[in-house]
Amino acid sequence: MAAIATEVPEQVRRRRRTGLKYGIGFTAPFMLLYAAFVLYPVVQAVQMSFFDWDLLGSVREFIGIDNYVRMLWGEGITWSMTHQFGWRLALLALAVGLMIRPLLNRRITGWRLAGVVGVLVLVFALGFHPAEGGFWFDPEFWVALQNTLVFTAISTPLIVGLGLGMAMALQGRRRGVRVYQMVFFLPYILPVSVVTLVWTYFLSPNQGLLAALLAPLGIDPVPWLASTDTAMLAIVITTVWWTVGFNLVLFAAGLQDVDPSLYEAASLDGAGAWRKFVSITLPGIRHVLLLVLVMQVIASFQVFGQVNIMTGGGPGTSTVVAIQHIYETGFRDFELGYASALSLFLFAVMLVVSVIQMRFLGKDDK
Amino acid sequence: MSTMTAPRTTHPTTRPRSASPMTPAVANRSPRRALMTTWYHVAMIIAAVVWLIPMLWMLSLSLSDNAALTRNTQSLIPVEPTLENLLGVFSVGLTSRWFINSAIVSILTTILTVLLCAMAGYAFARIEFRGRTIVYASVLAGLMIPKEAMFIPLFTMFADMTMHNTYQALILPRIAAPLGVFLMTQFFSQVPQEVEEAARIDGAGPWRTFFSIMLPLARPAMIALAIFTFVQTWNDYLWPLVSATKSEMFTITTGLASLQGNFAQATELGSLMARGLIGSLPLLLVFLFFQRHLIRGISMTSGGK
Repeated sequence: MAAIATEVPEQVRRRRRTGLKYGIGFTAPFMLLYAAFVLYPVVQAVQMSFFDWDLLGSVREFIGIDNYVRMLWGEGITWSMTHQFGWRLALLALAVGLMIRPLLNRRITGWRLAGVVGVLVLVFALGFHPAEGGFWFDPEFWVALQNTLVFTAISTPLIVGLGLGMAMALQGRRRGVRVYQMVFFLPYILPVSVVTLVWTYFLSPNQGLLAALLAPLGIDPVPWLASTDTAMLAIVITTVWWTVGFNLVLFAAGLQDVDPSLYEAASLDGAGAWRKFVSITLPGIRHVLLLVLVMQVIASFQVFGQVNIMTGGGPGTSTVVAIQHIYETGFRDFELGYASALSLFLFAVMLVVSVIQMRFLGKDDK
Repeated sequence: MSTMTAPRTTHPTTRPRSASPMTPAVANRSPRRALMTTWYHVAMIIAAVVWLIPMLWMLSLSLSDNAALTRNTQSLIPVEPTLENLLGVFSVGLTSRWFINSAIVSILTTILTVLLCAMAGYAFARIEFRGRTIVYASVLAGLMIPKEAMFIPLFTMFADMTMHNTYQALILPRIAAPLGVFLMTQFFSQVPQEVEEAARIDGAGPWRTFFSIMLPLARPAMIALAIFTFVQTWNDYLWPLVSATKSEMFTITTGLASLQGNFAQATELGSLMARGLIGSLPLLLVFLFFQRHLIRGISMTSGGK
């Protein structure tokens, strides 16, 4: 026994030593590219965000936090209790809700505390707004932020709900189910510019097929992309058509793992369809559901192609989204330093979403 | 892999245990059930056709005569049918160049991504070396870095190296896919220890073990990753848009987008749609031939669910 005990570490040490050679050999090609093109750009973005960094390379001047001030502040900003009152009240209710259980148990985890503090900071921050005669330094930043949130808030439930509904309609092993699934998935593989090409014309009030299809129903042609009221909705519809198949496939994979005998047992107990959905389907796919939700939110924050090609952010600023704003700041106004600051803000927001996701998924695994 | 095959064997209709006691009941209800099945398929076929209408319309327009389209575009049946648009795609404009660009970029990106991710994944899963945990953790952290949000510093980097408007600029940043490494690591860590030990006893070093034993074993995972990468690269929009600014370096995705901005709008609608159709053709073919792998790739993206 003693001989083995001394022998094993020696063997392990030797394997580790030769292992290092091969470990580096196998990982180096990937790690070099990864460090150069994924990790380093984040560092570079932080650095650039403190500079007045001109695209054409003529100006690179250190300006401290001026870019961040320009993004988040303005002239004559005041704080008032009642600004955005409804939203802040809702957030406050969320913070209180998060505290109920810890208060009852007299125990609080660091994560929950961080969450509650974060929400409270947000409640406070939403009180800032330009006073009479004041203005934000970059009003388009706030418009873009709001449009991105609106896009996310409308498209996510639509895509997730429709994806789940379709997956459930196709649940089971009926003949032909695979073909239907393929049909609904098909648009997902199209390049974004082909999707926008079809939909820009499809929605067109005088040339588009949609207007022709709706005319017999007595619906007048709608200038979808030319009106500030409907442009965002048109982009949402296009996005739903394009991407719902992806979620359908994820949900279909999730549904296959729900134990079918549970449905049989529930039927014997006389459970209805809704009851089965709530008590069996939803718990069975909660992992996939959460994953799809988070992926959808993160993808929505990065929406760009559809918007840039279909409306270019217009009419007016009604469809300017976060990446569009970054793109225009960098490549229309040539202000790469400020664009970096905007990128980092978006990155931070998405990081928060990712961390929340990991907290939820981690908790589920226990 | 198991997620693809398992459901078929566990589903009640194919499971003998539950099928046999149900047989009399099924026989009793069969006319009603047959009717319900019919209605189900009717509803599904209608839904599927509605879903495909935009694509069918695109096909119809691309088969229509351009002059006729100035009078009527709102038809699902080709107006004055002609193959002129589809045949003319490669002879007019830069479309063929864009198509070749996309093919070069997508194929090279796919091959390199799969190879590099498989190598790194093998090392993270099977080779013990100092610092492995930290390095792997740093790769996983990369999953949280949104590549769409980091294009500004990446642009500056390539501008400083004066490498824009090259294939390298379009390919290199796309190879470093943390997700690919994650998937391959997951795959290799499931391969039984014995497989590798047998090779080692035969005197094979890690490189030979990897190339002659592990890579062939990993073929399903690699095909799935390859197809997923190919589709993503072909469809990439933001990075080619900022990096390749010369029109002869456009990919088909950015090229088609540029046409939508300044094409003599309705007069060439049929030809425009034909370009879109041809531009999607490689993806449609991949979809037709590899749909199973594509779907598996997506299921894998969800972290093996």
